[in-house]
Amino acid sequence: MFRKMSANGKRLLKKVTAKSDMAVSAIALLALISVSPFWALDQKAAPANVTADLPAGPMQAKATTACLECHEARIILQQRLSRGAWTKEVDKMTKWGAVVDGADRDALIDYLSSNFSPDKPAYGPQRTTDKNGSGRTSK
Amino acid sequence: MAGAAPSMLTWALPQGQTVSVPGEDGMILRSFRFVDLESPVEYFNSWLTPVPHFFVRNHMHEPSELDASGWRLSLGGEVEKPLTLSLAELSKMETHSIVNTLECAGNGRSLQRPQVPGIQWGKGAVGTARFSGPRLRDALRRAGVKPTGKHVMFRGLDEVPGKVPPFIRSIPIEKALDADTLIATHMNGSPLTRHHGFPARALVPGWIGAASCKWLAEIKVLDAEFVGNFMSPGYRFPNQPVKPGDAVKPEDTHPLTALSVKSVISGPSDDATLKAGKVVVHGAAWAGEADIVKVEISADGGATWDIAKLGHDQAHYAWRLWSYDWKPAKAGDYTIQSRATDSQGRTQPATPVWNPSGYLYNAIDQVNVHVS
Repeated sequence: MFRKMSANGKRLLKKVTAKSDMAVSAIALLALISVSPFWALDQKAAPANVTADLPAGPMQAKATTACLECHEARIILQQRLSRGAWTKEVDKMTKWGAVVDGADRDALIDYLSSNFSPDKPAYGPQRTTDKNGSGRTSK
Repeated sequence: MAGAAPSMLTWALPQGQTVSVPGEDGMILRSFRFVDLESPVEYFNSWLTPVPHFFVRNHMHEPSELDASGWRLSLGGEVEKPLTLSLAELSKMETHSIVNTLECAGNGRSLQRPQVPGIQWGKGAVGTARFSGPRLRDALRRAGVKPTGKHVMFRGLDEVPGKVPPFIRSIPIEKALDADTLIATHMNGSPLTRHHGFPARALVPGWIGAASCKWLAEIKVLDAEFVGNFMSPGYRFPNQPVKPGDAVKPEDTHPLTALSVKSVISGPSDDATLKAGKVVVHGAAWAGEADIVKVEISADGGATWDIAKLGHDQAHYAWRLWSYDWKPAKAGDYTIQSRATDSQGRTQPATPVWNPSGYLYNAIDQVNVHVS
């Protein structure tokens, strides 16, 4: 069932996103992956390296807490939508339980519609491991 | 920020790295949490799709606990005698098998322009399997449907995150009482896997995949269509053609039911470089409740079409595999197209029929190849 992000996960996430030094952030993130895969709480048996992340930016942390409680980042990464369409999505998801402070709504829509607009290159999904051969990145 | 900077996790996890999802081999990962997996089109080379190659579409989280011995299916609503069935009781009922092509209504959504929200399926949210289990109508007759019963609702055990509406849909009583509509417990001869709805799912043949509710827990006979998000505004189609990008009022839509006529080229692959000589173009074609009558192939931009050979294996709701021996006259770049026509006289359109949710994409398929 729906579970809240652990306090530890939130603290580490804040730590990761607040750092400007890329190397330090990457180390912290890798520690987060190995220690506290908070995004994988619903899939206990899953290895830690199954998730993707939202892109860096001023709303990354808030988008992560608002959106990734219920689904993972790939659902967002694959969209290529206009600002109008993102506005509808944010409002729908807020109605469905995404916690978005009213003061953050427009910034969240900005973040999503600038990162995932129709002019961006198509998302390249990963493959699941093929027991009969090596996986490939699909086109 | 201005652009989509690569995330640190992308840096840590190269795109080529695969993700382990036990029982799901080489599938395109649309989402891990919740699980949405697409078949690469090159898998469409066998009439029955092996379960590890069969697409998975989940709207929300899979049930965290599935206990076959404790599982019960309730059947109530507009019936004379409400029932509760265990898996053992279901297995004692007469079993029926249907080879069915199951396709997500959103298959091909990523090809719509302008783009629309939702899982960005390519061409592979479709597969064909032999589903087995008791007929839904046998269970309904045991309970005794009242004259007021007009629709049949399915509720699964999906775990709902946040305040997301539960995944509940209904089908008209006529389809529920059809001899081919099942409470399926098996897929290709084996018990359903977790991803495909263990221990039982509805199987509504020829209809959009969303009609075939997984992890079935409740069947309820209603006096009207179920009212809920996944009946409206979800899974509805405009009554009239829509200009791409235009909004559509809910009252100008109807619920999706049967699938469209469609073909997909499974080989050669897009952007392939081929040697001169004979090239076998092959793929699959399906039409929901209708039968495939012909598949045509063009290698000259649609100016001329030749008939492809249909495969021997066939069943009423199942796709036909097809193949075509193509002999390119000279080296160069070619666009190969496939176009299916069904027993209802429907033919794949040259341009997609756009709609706000990107349902039932069925434009003529094509791949670009280079002949050296």
